[in-house]
Amino acid sequence: MTGISVSSARSRLCETVDISGHRNNTAISAATETRAGAFNVWRNSFAAEYLPEGKSLVHVDGVPFEFPPVLDGPDNVRCAGQFIRVPEGRYDWIHVLAASERRCEDTVELNFADGAVDTEPLRISDFWAAPAWFGEVKAFESLVMHYPHHVQRGVPAVMWAQRVPVTRRAGLTGILLPRNVAVHVFAVTLQRTEP
Amino acid sequence: MTVDATARTYMITGPEPEWWYRDLISCLQATFGSLLIREGADPLAVLGAGWRFLHLPGDIRSEEFYYPCPTGESGGTDLGAALAPHHDLHARWWQPADENDVWREVRASLADDRPVIAAVDNFHLPFRPAYGDVHAAHLVVIYGLDETRGVVHVSDAMPPAFRGAVPIEKFLSSWGSANPTDDQDAFFSDSRIGRRCLDVRLDVPPAPLTPELLGGYLRIDAAGFTTASPDSSARTGLAGYDEFAAELVERCRAADAGALRELYPFGWAMQAQASLHGELLRRCGREWDDPALAGAGRAVEAVAHAWTGLRFTGAHGLEDPRAVASDIAHHATVLRGAYQRAVDAVGAAAARL
Repeated sequence: MTGISVSSARSRLCETVDISGHRNNTAISAATETRAGAFNVWRNSFAAEYLPEGKSLVHVDGVPFEFPPVLDGPDNVRCAGQFIRVPEGRYDWIHVLAASERRCEDTVELNFADGAVDTEPLRISDFWAAPAWFGEVKAFESLVMHYPHHVQRGVPAVMWAQRVPVTRRAGLTGILLPRNVAVHVFAVTLQRTEP
Repeated sequence: MTVDATARTYMITGPEPEWWYRDLISCLQATFGSLLIREGADPLAVLGAGWRFLHLPGDIRSEEFYYPCPTGESGGTDLGAALAPHHDLHARWWQPADENDVWREVRASLADDRPVIAAVDNFHLPFRPAYGDVHAAHLVVIYGLDETRGVVHVSDAMPPAFRGAVPIEKFLSSWGSANPTDDQDAFFSDSRIGRRCLDVRLDVPPAPLTPELLGGYLRIDAAGFTTASPDSSARTGLAGYDEFAAELVERCRAADAGALRELYPFGWAMQAQASLHGELLRRCGREWDDPALAGAGRAVEAVAHAWTGLRFTGAHGLEDPRAVASDIAHHATVLRGAYQRAVDAVGAAAARL
């Protein structure tokens, strides 16, 4: 089997999750209006010109994601304990497009239809010129960093594709994000490994 | 040393300083790392050998390179010993003695083939992202001075990373900056630079790291986490962490923004140290085929990662400390658990080495 067909098969087992109701932060800005973004405490942001089109369907390592709106309001969920409801189903992986203000480990709580709750690690590397410390896939990279008053070359901003396991063989109903302002989630996709 | 006909050009011999960088370290570890490489030492083995919790109430300065440094028996401080307690690394701050010739000591150091670590204000340095925008205290390595051409040769490993010549006038503005309060940087402004420099010396080349040697370091450090400090003014170990965390939460509840302003630079020092120690232990665990040691390293890295939640909850909560008090308490508890697990794992690994 070729890599392409594996990716296609995986894509068919994935469902993107609507997180639009939870977006509360703007991390992407235009070079002409860098002040509009504030990913971190220093108000740095990703450069829109290096990222996919807003609301487009993108594939990272064979996993489809609905890319957030770009230059059209909040584009990510800065984690503050939001509860993301998902279509009930048996899933094996939760994929996220995410980035962190410094390398970070926290937890998500997975809620199941039978009332069970499991805690799983959410490990996200730094967005600031950093390596994939937790073995993530580099999903997108802004080759410049936006500062409130200028565009900085030589300092890339990275968005990571990370995954969280769903080990319980039960219907997943929701994901409780951590109370951790360092962690930003741009998109969520659920994956089954079997039809 | 290279001296031109007018004896006004000073440059270290050999290659320019190597950059040394990790994503959780600050300019403090980066500059020391560059100098250690030049001494033929492995920065991770030296700067990652020690691990402790140390909080000195009233000591924290709003500088990226703040690091808790206890006063020694002589009444002075030794930043090198604080960074590398298991090695003969020493560092002392100095300032030019003669206001009319501020380069005298730098010339002497470079003539002795010794780079100088200098404190600067990013606002005045053209290669820093904050140039002309934000005042912030930072450290760079000076490795050359050309008074004929009017440039200082500077190396900085922190992104975007720079190595090259800076006009002397720019550098002097940066080196002598008042680094005034800057609303855009509440954590590293409002700290006079004062042409401070660090004289760093590695008196004895580090011995090759063996399981026996590392085991000794770990046993000392594990004891430091679980036994009371003889110095009542220093908060050390797990008990010291508990005092620090309880006070931090109380100050947030009392709307004391100063507590959060201090948390950021102090937490960076502790976070950087834990990240390097954890990485070193993981590396040794892999090289020595010791999975338990590698696991202890990973547990120490988890401490570093848990500092992120605490530091950045505080940073984003600066304008309303009371509003973030419960989240600060939450992250302080998470971090306490990470410390306990890591101390247990390091203690167990040390007992077998």
